[in-house]
Amino acid sequence: MDPVRKDEFDSEACGSLSPKSKPCPRPKPGEAAGGCSFDGAQITLLPIMDAAHLVHGPIACAGNSWESRGALSSGPSLSQYGFATDLNDSDIIFGGEKKLKESIDYIAGRFAPPAIFVYSTCVTALIGEDMDAVCKEAGERLHIPVIPVNSPGFVGSKNLGNRLAGDALLQYVIGTGEPEPGTPLGVNLIGEYNIAGEMWDIEKLMNSAGIAVTSRITGDARYKEITWAHRAKVNMVVCSRALLGLAKEMESRYGIPYFEGSFYGAKETTYSLRQMAYLMNDREMERRVDRLTEREESRLAMDLRPYRKLLKGKKAVLYTGGVKSWSVISALKELGVQVVGVGTNKSTEDDVRRIADRVGDDTEYIPEGGASRILKTVRERKADIMIAGGRNMYVAMKEQIPFIDINQERHKAYAGYEGLLRLAKELTYSLANPIWKLASSPAPWDKEAPPYDR
Amino acid sequence: MSKDRLEIPDYNSLFSEDRFVQQRENKRQFEAPCSEQETAEALAYSQSAEYLEKNFNRKAVVINPHKACQPLGSIMAALGFEKTLPFVHGSQGCNSYFRSHLSRHFKEPTPAVSSSMTEDAAVFGGMSNLIDGLENSIALYKPEMVALCTTCMAEVIGDDLSSFIGNARQKGVISEDFPVAFCNTPSFVGSHITGYDSMLKGILSYLYDRSGIQAAPGSGEETGEKLNVMLGFEPYTGNFAEIRKILNAFDTKYTFLGDHSGNYDSPATGEYEYYYGGTKLDDVPLAANALATLSLQKYTLKKTQDYIGGTWKQLIAAMSTPLGITGTDKLLDTISELTGLPVPASLTEERGRVVDALMDSHPYIHGKRVALVGDPDLLIGLIGFCLETGMEPVHIVCSNGDVDFNDVKFKEEAEALLASSPYGSEAAVYIGKDLWHMRSLLLNDPVDLAIGSSHLKFAAKDANVPLIRVGFPIFDRHHMHRYPVLGYQGALNLLSLIVNTVLDELDRNHSGFNFDLVR
Ligand code: SF4
Repeated sequence: MDPVRKDEFDSEACGSLSPKSKPCPRPKPGEAAGGCSFDGAQITLLPIMDAAHLVHGPIACAGNSWESRGALSSGPSLSQYGFATDLNDSDIIFGGEKKLKESIDYIAGRFAPPAIFVYSTCVTALIGEDMDAVCKEAGERLHIPVIPVNSPGFVGSKNLGNRLAGDALLQYVIGTGEPEPGTPLGVNLIGEYNIAGEMWDIEKLMNSAGIAVTSRITGDARYKEITWAHRAKVNMVVCSRALLGLAKEMESRYGIPYFEGSFYGAKETTYSLRQMAYLMNDREMERRVDRLTEREESRLAMDLRPYRKLLKGKKAVLYTGGVKSWSVISALKELGVQVVGVGTNKSTEDDVRRIADRVGDDTEYIPEGGASRILKTVRERKADIMIAGGRNMYVAMKEQIPFIDINQERHKAYAGYEGLLRLAKELTYSLANPIWKLASSPAPWDKEAPPYDR
Repeated sequence: MSKDRLEIPDYNSLFSEDRFVQQRENKRQFEAPCSEQETAEALAYSQSAEYLEKNFNRKAVVINPHKACQPLGSIMAALGFEKTLPFVHGSQGCNSYFRSHLSRHFKEPTPAVSSSMTEDAAVFGGMSNLIDGLENSIALYKPEMVALCTTCMAEVIGDDLSSFIGNARQKGVISEDFPVAFCNTPSFVGSHITGYDSMLKGILSYLYDRSGIQAAPGSGEETGEKLNVMLGFEPYTGNFAEIRKILNAFDTKYTFLGDHSGNYDSPATGEYEYYYGGTKLDDVPLAANALATLSLQKYTLKKTQDYIGGTWKQLIAAMSTPLGITGTDKLLDTISELTGLPVPASLTEERGRVVDALMDSHPYIHGKRVALVGDPDLLIGLIGFCLETGMEPVHIVCSNGDVDFNDVKFKEEAEALLASSPYGSEAAVYIGKDLWHMRSLLLNDPVDLAIGSSHLKFAAKDANVPLIRVGFPIFDRHHMHRYPVLGYQGALNLLSLIVNTVLDELDRNHSGFNFDLVR
């Protein structure tokens, strides 16, 4: 069996259907590159909190990754369990299908999850396991959905994995259930994973404007709510181009209009809420949104005043997945922070265009190159702070650069109006901590100047 | 000033807020909710002997594994050598996991690259990825050696590292004399400790072979009196410092074979360099002439020990991580025997101080029932420590305690050790089991303390047992790895961790009557 459909590679791998768009950038050998497609697929689906997620492969992929994601749950925790078939050498030779089947049976029997997601990995894809067939058979026998996710690491980047996870949802989940009668229908949030609880802030906002969330795809989601995602009135793709394909497909299949938006920064948040109301085609809702956003924005402006004063003119280097870059730039700009360098290694052309719209010409683009490249930019541009993912944090510490974690392992929610306030606080704290002064001043007996002037 | 205070982290108390209590209630409709009674029944069932048996009969699925795969260990081994870049041949995802994993434990950056194999490599082999990868990474990271290992993917398609490296030299991508050590580390065999062993052996044999030096143990003026010391897959940078302290007290010469403590405990100087410390490459061939090799993780280092004994014809003294008084005694005795030097008075004195500390604390730890999880060598050390302090190991789970350590078998040794003391009489050792098995054990047969890595925290929480974090990985506490756990000083550190957890528990759960100050 072909592990992935051929067309995933040839065209538009990042979700855009326009013929001009290039595939996701390929990883370059010999670099300290980011995650794999398996990683991407799992990140997308793990926030379905009540489902079981079973990794089919040797211990590598599961043993290294379980329980280290930052997507929070408000209830069930089954998704946090590290399930793995843990194939050994004899399974590699004789095949692991039996083990897979038994694993599914055990999970279904013991944990009674509403669904089981089964992930292929490099090894199971290479040895040609027929995962689809095993899942199908088990699902029919056990009367629960058993969903194959064909996204082995070697097919490409994390972004492609996000997209393949979206395909699995389209193929096996969305459209298979119906909401209870009387459930208010509204917006699907696609590509929002509830990192540090961001989904909850967003939901609170939407609720105060009277906009219902139909399905969370997938932050703090329950399996069932995704089965009826096709009944939503609007799809919002939250700042994740990788799942844009999902929204496009839902538009053509179910006629649900979609838009791309973000909740980073007050402007983007207001725009997103307005867009929802507009696409819901509900005048009353639009008025409510206007009142809410006006109120929230002016309150936020008050709260932000002291921080803005401190942050004005500060320079930041931003290095994160392309999907987040442009929206975080907006948020930073609202706080008066200038982005002097920005990572574009996972960005698509569209992302880069959006970045360019927001930063102007004097910002350095960092296409690749890992830590050394980022550090060079920080030094050359005399940046005050680095905003990146956890793996780069320890490098920043070595260089005594104030740092904020923006990726999936962070503990702070930065979405929405409240989130922007939190981001402002974090930036100020991080910049103001006395340790930087202590670190950059030499020991009293050592007159040497710090390595570079910031 | 309260406004400026940092709230860390902000979601912990969030769910007790009304709106979330409400939201949780609303969401229950999606969760096919069961009644409170059913929940209680399910919980009771998971505590029952019946489920314990069912859980232990589970064959196929692993739930909450307590092991990582080979290449992770191999990266740690590579970082034990001067200016060495770990290079993982396979698809890129694994490497990103390894780097996060190690960095989250040590709170330090991990330089490691991958050949980023993709689907064409799966079909045509990964040679061009490997060669391009060597070229790019050497240009970018300027290492003095590359240490190459495989992932399961490269293994399944059968890539031949040695011939690929040869081709890279022929093409002029790397010069004839640029060192590239390598080993095979399929993830479907063994675990991170196997990978550590393979890479260490790979590096030692590679550097030795290319040097042209002939091993003559105990010979040679400058090297002859030296000891080689191997710590193995060592999650504590503090352990290196402690061993150094001990060997310096003996005033003996020594060479660490693999010392990643520099890389994982480097100062913040304002400038990040990729490589810090590590065993000097030139010291490796000379190490073949040392008097003897002291191996402090005998299960982890099986292959390397065989190599040193076989090829270098050297005397090997192998033991598990020397924890506690007895463990450390054995270490000092061994060093003394190997070098012919007496145990220095400073260490005898230190021993006395730690024995004194153990006596002070013994009333609070005597008879405490303990559950243990870890790698084989760490577990042997921990069992020994428990027994000598009057704590009773009850459940011992080792995910990677293979039966396959040739002449020495972990389970047998652990059981013999337990049988040697009345405090071990209740213990059972499980190999190849995971943390879901441990959860069953904890719920079924409660203990007072759990000792293991951060991964154990979920089971410990379910069973309402305090967790003492020892081993790898420790993601959720800071700086634990900087404190040694081996040697007498390590025994004191372990003791403080354990006894103060016990005392904390006493205070926390205290009813309020006679809340005592002095203990
Ligand atoms: S690259 Fe392949 S083997 Fe590695 S973690 Fe990803 S799926 Fe697993």
